[in-house]
Amino acid sequence: MKTKVRQLLEEGRVDAFIAYKTVHGLPFPTVFTKADVGVLETWQPFKARYPVTKLLLAQARQNPDKTFGVLVRGCEERSLYELFKWNQLHPDKVVVLGQACPQDLAFYCECPKPYPDHLDYGEAPKPVQESRRLGELHGMPETDRLAWWLGHFNRCIRCYGCRDVCPVCFCTECSLEHKELIPTGKLPPDTSFHLVRAVHMAGRCIDCGLCEETCPSHIPLRALYKHVNSLVEGIFQYKTGVPDGKSPFTMLGEESFLPTGVR
Amino acid sequence: MAERFEPRILAILCNWCSYAGADLAGVSRFQYPPNVRVIRVMCSGTVSPHHVIHAFQRGADGVLVAGCHIGDCHYLKGNYMTLKRMKFVQELIRFAGYNPERFRLEWISSAEGVKFAEVIRDFTEKVRSLGPAPSFEASPRLAMGL
Repeated sequence: MKTKVRQLLEEGRVDAFIAYKTVHGLPFPTVFTKADVGVLETWQPFKARYPVTKLLLAQARQNPDKTFGVLVRGCEERSLYELFKWNQLHPDKVVVLGQACPQDLAFYCECPKPYPDHLDYGEAPKPVQESRRLGELHGMPETDRLAWWLGHFNRCIRCYGCRDVCPVCFCTECSLEHKELIPTGKLPPDTSFHLVRAVHMAGRCIDCGLCEETCPSHIPLRALYKHVNSLVEGIFQYKTGVPDGKSPFTMLGEESFLPTGVR
Repeated sequence: MAERFEPRILAILCNWCSYAGADLAGVSRFQYPPNVRVIRVMCSGTVSPHHVIHAFQRGADGVLVAGCHIGDCHYLKGNYMTLKRMKFVQELIRFAGYNPERFRLEWISSAEGVKFAEVIRDFTEKVRSLGPAPSFEASPRLAMGL
């Protein structure tokens, strides 16, 4: 981290770099500029995860003409691809360094790709393809699912944590705050709160799992978003978190994205 | 005699085809059950998945979305979007544990008054046989298994 980031900053290829600084013994995401090259630390694997691309997006919005560098994990790189595709960040304005996740973190996250395409630091750990929670849900009779979901949704305290931490939630106006669609002053909120968010995650969720980790009520949100995403993949053959393609919901028309079968 | 369950069905119809089809069914005096409440929209492509989910949340027993046939859209390709979204929303409610048969997407042109009446008859009977829709409300009682 020390040499590569220092080089990028000193050569002026980036105006600022989002990496980590140890604060009270924990790595903490920090914006480094040319003036801070002295305090850059050497890279070592760590397990703390942050929505760094969300921090990057906030920085980039405030400084539209600046170029930023960022140190990303596999999931964060996927979110970057999505932000590029949804025209939220410009690929020319972002320089990416990649780090691999520790193997135990990859197991903990059940991460399908715990390393970025461009790996600068660390060794790629083994991916996990199966989600236990989704397996449990698919094994359940369809008639039991509504009660299962409602049993989880009723713990919701409407903190908006899932949305606020989500690296691909970039809208400035949010449907979840639409007073007619989702009435305010009701706890737990309407089930549509979660389903509306699920609709928005379709073709967008990069399966980082931060939402579920943040949720104070331990609602298994990741299984929901994972499934809606696999629906999009199944119906439209569109895959999220890869550099190319566009979500079928971003464009009007396009025969190629119509689901196959009887119309 | 036990009272027959009368389902409440929300129909979201596009202005140019399906609403005109409903109009034709009316002026032609085709019979169809009065269980359906109609909302007219300019294009079925403006129907967001949110609206469908919101309808179920507010106690609709069935939701019908109808638009122009593919290729006939007044806005050329608006109903492509409808097809994409509604196909997705049907699978979403299935995953949430809601019976996807409570939701239907149909293409009804302005000349198809007969089809409109038939769809409403058929859908009403279908939803009637499914019974009242289960509550969409997340209530703390559920967590306690009550």
